[in-house]
Amino acid sequence: MLSTRNTHASLRWLGKQLFNREDPGAFFDPLLAVLNPMWVRGFVPARLLEVTDETADTRSFRLRPSPRWKGFRAGQHINIILEADGVRHHRTFTVASAPRQWDTDGTITLTVKRHPGGRMTNWMHDHLTPGTIVGISQAFGDFELPEADVPLLYIAGGSGITPVLSHLMTLADRDFRAPVTLLYYVRTQADVIGAEILYALASRWPALTLHVYRTEEEGKTAFLNESHLDTVPGLRARQVYLCGPKGLMDLAGDLLHSFGIKDDQIQTTFFSAPSAVPADTPLGGAVTFGRSDKTVDAEGDAPLLEIAEAADLKPAFGCRMGICHQCSCRKTEGTVVNRLTGKASGPGEETIQLCISVPQGPVTVDL
Amino acid sequence: MTQQLTQQQLDELAKDLDAIRDEVRADLGERDARYIRRIIRLHRTLEVGGRVLMPFGFIPPVFVAGVASLGLAKIIENMEIGHNVMHGQYDWMNDPSLHSQTYEWDTVCTGDSWRQTHNYEHHTYTNVIGKDRDYGYAVLRLSDDEKWHPLHLLQFINYVMLTVFFQWGVGLHELESERIRRREIKLSDKKGFLKDFFRKGGRQAFKDYVFFPLLTFPVFPIVLAGNVCANLIRNLWSSTVIFCGHFTEDAETFTEASIEGESRGHWYLRQLTGSSNFTGSKWVHILSGHLSHQIEHHVFPDIPAHRYREIAPRVEAICHKYGLKYNTGSFGKQYWTVLKRIGHYSLPDRVRMKLEAQAT
Repeated sequence: MLSTRNTHASLRWLGKQLFNREDPGAFFDPLLAVLNPMWVRGFVPARLLEVTDETADTRSFRLRPSPRWKGFRAGQHINIILEADGVRHHRTFTVASAPRQWDTDGTITLTVKRHPGGRMTNWMHDHLTPGTIVGISQAFGDFELPEADVPLLYIAGGSGITPVLSHLMTLADRDFRAPVTLLYYVRTQADVIGAEILYALASRWPALTLHVYRTEEEGKTAFLNESHLDTVPGLRARQVYLCGPKGLMDLAGDLLHSFGIKDDQIQTTFFSAPSAVPADTPLGGAVTFGRSDKTVDAEGDAPLLEIAEAADLKPAFGCRMGICHQCSCRKTEGTVVNRLTGKASGPGEETIQLCISVPQGPVTVDL
Repeated sequence: MTQQLTQQQLDELAKDLDAIRDEVRADLGERDARYIRRIIRLHRTLEVGGRVLMPFGFIPPVFVAGVASLGLAKIIENMEIGHNVMHGQYDWMNDPSLHSQTYEWDTVCTGDSWRQTHNYEHHTYTNVIGKDRDYGYAVLRLSDDEKWHPLHLLQFINYVMLTVFFQWGVGLHELESERIRRREIKLSDKKGFLKDFFRKGGRQAFKDYVFFPLLTFPVFPIVLAGNVCANLIRNLWSSTVIFCGHFTEDAETFTEASIEGESRGHWYLRQLTGSSNFTGSKWVHILSGHLSHQIEHHVFPDIPAHRYREIAPRVEAICHKYGLKYNTGSFGKQYWTVLKRIGHYSLPDRVRMKLEAQAT
């Protein structure tokens, strides 16, 4: 093991000398891509096998990653790398399938809902056809299953169901014995994502209690409220997983606290593009880009990435939603507010993600 | 001379050129991505081909093919890929392997040094004597802004040395040896630069003159000779192309005073009149990295270079509109004027004036 690593290290060193790049393996990608696009080294290629409709605006994409992909744990995400009109885009999606599917047939499923006005989700629906090769990253994220059989509560909204699907299928395979409750909020019955899987699980796996609330069809009582939580037996002992739109998550958090559930019992995972920070924080300020010797005035909740781009700088970027760290950069001075968490940073030098950092007063960035 | 444009005319000039730039920027997409990827594929093919053919160079035609293949690979990588990528022409693609700030090219000069001396200094202070050190590379006198010295009589030798060892000259450009000689700076000020220079230069020499020859040990003299030839071809071609871009007969020079507080329009004016194009076939353009369109390149350094061919007629029309010379001609003609300029300015001013008077 050690010897192969040494060989790799020396080969890599040699590759750097010969090809003048930090990732010498990718030097031949332009040729490999012609011979067999699944051989490229610059990212992990994955072949799209199948596209299926989940609902009117949600589709599942079944992918076969190249053998270099290291697999994933239930609830983890991947970045998908897509090229639209010559521009490379990175987007983060949760793997909706269970690790067992990956173990048995080497495929994974991403379930993607069209975001109104969203650029890439719509592009994926309109342009991705079976046979296309896309890039993916290794899996990441810590929306982890419990090790022991402890009682669980899932609260999911809309397409926030995807990590929950992966979790539930994995728990069912594990023959998980402790009670599991899912409160799933959708607009109408037709918006239920993974309906087949959910109802099949509910009928064959006795530990699962499934409640689907259809907010548009059932009216006010179907919005998350105390009575929904009252129906969950032994609520205070449950480990809670949240995934859904911000409004639902905030409400769930408040309600759970009022039921005496502590923060360390609750896990939240990434859902979609972050929304703005609370309005009571005074945001904006003079942003100085140290390396370019430029200062611009920023107003409102524009993140530094957009401010930099508006100032004609071209910082590296990736997902633009705080996940992939492609745009990470040194802040040398000033305070920024993290759009995802709403938390203010310290005033000193630190690495920040430009795409989710909103200046709060004057800020200097090493760009 | 062309400095007579009024400020209003300069502003209009800027507006006209900005309009072209905005239009092309908005149109960037699939076509440009496909173009650069195809060129990169060609580069990889030629490089692999050259390296594979070289050991069989004991067969003379194979030697020629190997040298041509590797030489062309280096030319394409330096001119059409490296130089243009480092200008940020493809940053919009968000492809990390085509990112301007991290790209490293197949030549002695480090990407970082190039980004500083070329992208920043040369493209900002184009042809400003004393500020643009690319003007004559501090070894050639090419205008009477610099005082004549008897040593200039020998500057043609400098020129030949520079063109033969061009990659090493460019690699050492940031050293500012002329300022060290004049004791304006100390060698120790350049310690960081020298470290990078030796690392990158060593890497390049190791690859072409040690690793590949040793890899093919029994035939190493052939491989070594082939690699030397390939580097030489690249040096001669790239230096010639670059000289034709700014040192032609009518390419203008500027004084530091003339650019103080200059407007964007004046910067544009300097780019238009300080640069010169040459004509040629599609492949001449590609192999020159489209520096055959030096004028367009200087006006729009971060627009994908293959677009220069398309916008050239519009840039030329703008030049005519403002009564500016659009300096272009055949490759041979432009190169001849470069040689003439090097020759003329090697002579004492009195002799040169007399010669010029006779010529007209």
